[in-house]
Amino acid sequence: MADPKISIRNLYKIFGEDPKGALTHAKAGMHKAELLDQHRHVLGLRDINVDMAPGEITVIMGLSGSGKSTLIRHLNRLIDPTDGEVWVDGDNIMTYSEAELRKVRRKKMSMVFQKFALLPHRTVLENAATPMIVDGEKRSAWEKEATKWLDRVGLEGQGPQYPHQLSGGMQQRVGIARALTSNSDIMLMDEAFSALDPLIRTDMQDLLLELQRELQKTVVFITHDLDEALKLADHLVILKDGEVVQQGEPQHILVNPNDPYIVDFISDINRARVLRARTVMTETADAPADAAGSVDENATLEDVIAQAGGDTDKTYRVTRDGQTVGTLPMTDVVRALVPTAASEDGMRKAS
Amino acid sequence: MATYDWIFDTLGLRGWCDGSGGEDGGGSAPMSMADLMNQAGNAPERTIWDTPFPSMDALNDACASFPQSRELTRGLERGFLDIKDALSYVLDPLTQPLSWALSNALSLFQSVPWWIMIPLLALIVLVISRSWKLMAFVAGSFALLAFIDYYDYAMQTLAIIFVCAFICVLLGVPIGIAMSRSDKLQAGMIPVLDMLQTLPPFVYLIPLIFLFSVTEPKLYGIAIILYAIVPVIRLTNLGIRLVDKEVIEAADAFGMTKRQKLYGVQIPLALPNIMAGVNQTIMMSLAMVVIASLVSAPGLGVLVLRGIRNLELGVGLISGLGIVLLAVILDRSTKAALARVNAAQKH
Repeated sequence: MADPKISIRNLYKIFGEDPKGALTHAKAGMHKAELLDQHRHVLGLRDINVDMAPGEITVIMGLSGSGKSTLIRHLNRLIDPTDGEVWVDGDNIMTYSEAELRKVRRKKMSMVFQKFALLPHRTVLENAATPMIVDGEKRSAWEKEATKWLDRVGLEGQGPQYPHQLSGGMQQRVGIARALTSNSDIMLMDEAFSALDPLIRTDMQDLLLELQRELQKTVVFITHDLDEALKLADHLVILKDGEVVQQGEPQHILVNPNDPYIVDFISDINRARVLRARTVMTETADAPADAAGSVDENATLEDVIAQAGGDTDKTYRVTRDGQTVGTLPMTDVVRALVPTAASEDGMRKAS
Repeated sequence: MATYDWIFDTLGLRGWCDGSGGEDGGGSAPMSMADLMNQAGNAPERTIWDTPFPSMDALNDACASFPQSRELTRGLERGFLDIKDALSYVLDPLTQPLSWALSNALSLFQSVPWWIMIPLLALIVLVISRSWKLMAFVAGSFALLAFIDYYDYAMQTLAIIFVCAFICVLLGVPIGIAMSRSDKLQAGMIPVLDMLQTLPPFVYLIPLIFLFSVTEPKLYGIAIILYAIVPVIRLTNLGIRLVDKEVIEAADAFGMTKRQKLYGVQIPLALPNIMAGVNQTIMMSLAMVVIASLVSAPGLGVLVLRGIRNLELGVGLISGLGIVLLAVILDRSTKAALARVNAAQKH
């Protein structure tokens, strides 16, 4: 892997009267429940180590209280850690002064918020231009840039409106345009789509993927929704009680969950929509003679089933850039739709 | 003897009691009514029902050296008189601009002829409220006051309110902002504000009379400001504290400086609350300006006072209604401005 854009090293965050004192217990191996029970301190994050590659979407997923919103706020130091380091572009931002930090926030990182957090007294155009206005740019400069990004996210002509005149989905588009106007490499998205209706949410996810193909930013995306996480993630980090339970390529986590918590999580999802041909296929360079056709390695099983018309006798050739990389019998496809045996013994069954 | 003799006897203080007080027999303190009754000879039988509370006066009965309660008030008075000179030496020059502002505003409001003043006020109302109806009401009200020859008094009152409310905002908004930034300052200020708001308005006047000459405008100016500044401080503090946490977080996340955050986010978003505070401040200065006429504040309050003193029912009632009219004008104008601010930043 290339040098990570953002690298989180041994990050701890403890809330309470004496975080430093409680830190020693956490480092000695105490977990969230025990720390709260015995020392009355809330463990926010415990020994987090994550590398985020440039140009990738890293999704941090977990239920509420798992520490994911706390974690993302450490990346631009809206929250300071109790212990640990955050490296951005090879610099440890924990050593930054307030002025340096402001520069990072203006130039390197932008943020999109769950509840949009637009300035209600400013127009949509002024809101989208916030990063440049904050940086002291002239109106002529920011007006052009902000208009460009508003147009790009599908808000042509909405500039003079006020945020309250727009729907939730449109307000979040303004939020995204605002993040893009800063021209930062890194975009932090804190449950950016969680407050939106399901249909609009899908729209916004598509918009983000489309923008990402074009702009190749380093995106850190927080969500509690596994479907969303699987759709967006290049790298998936699953948090539970302030600790990383598993991280890696989403397809890999899906077929090799290493924790009952994750098994539970993934037992609910629509596997046909998230599993991809390359995950299920048998690797081989030789095309089978009786192949009924070819599918791209990134096609979802849903696509494959649709292509086969529901016929389970067929076998497909899986291709990457036109080259055959494996075979995919439909029987394997159908088998892959059944959750792994492990999930039968998952936590939820037990309780 | 008195009811509480035993306290001093058991504490062994009898000697102290008699030592200083005994010489002039019965204490140096002035006689109370009860003492007089006792001297008259027919001291009533004390039953358990008549047991007095062990107050300073009751204890003084038992022990002449114990101070009477009137010593307390007199001590306070003496203390105040002792520091008075030093205090006014500091406060006098500090508050001098207030006197100038008030006397200049008074002469300005009275020297501008009515045919400029009334249209000008109506225009101001139109600009801040954007309402022709309100403007017509204001112009009509002033015309009515002028028609019954109360125009000059109304202008005096208005001038005082303008100056005092302006100074209240000038001082109150920064204090409110400072309070919103520091929990400690807030904890310290709230009891002071509570006291300023609940202290009967007349009570402000007493120490001020000692400190400043009654002929100076700043005397009533300070009284009005102290009384009326509270709501604008409170509501500025509250308004800034109520600004959406997410928006503040966004401001931080985009690298705003403290100053950018204050002027670009916090004050604009707190503006509806601050304006509500300004409205309350204006209303309270109007209430105080009437009471301040006791210490030579000119205006409609003087007429109210005349109504009470000379039992001139008509004068009192009409000037009272004039004050109501002014209150309605000021309230409606500031509320209309407030409504416009609110409409501009609905969530």
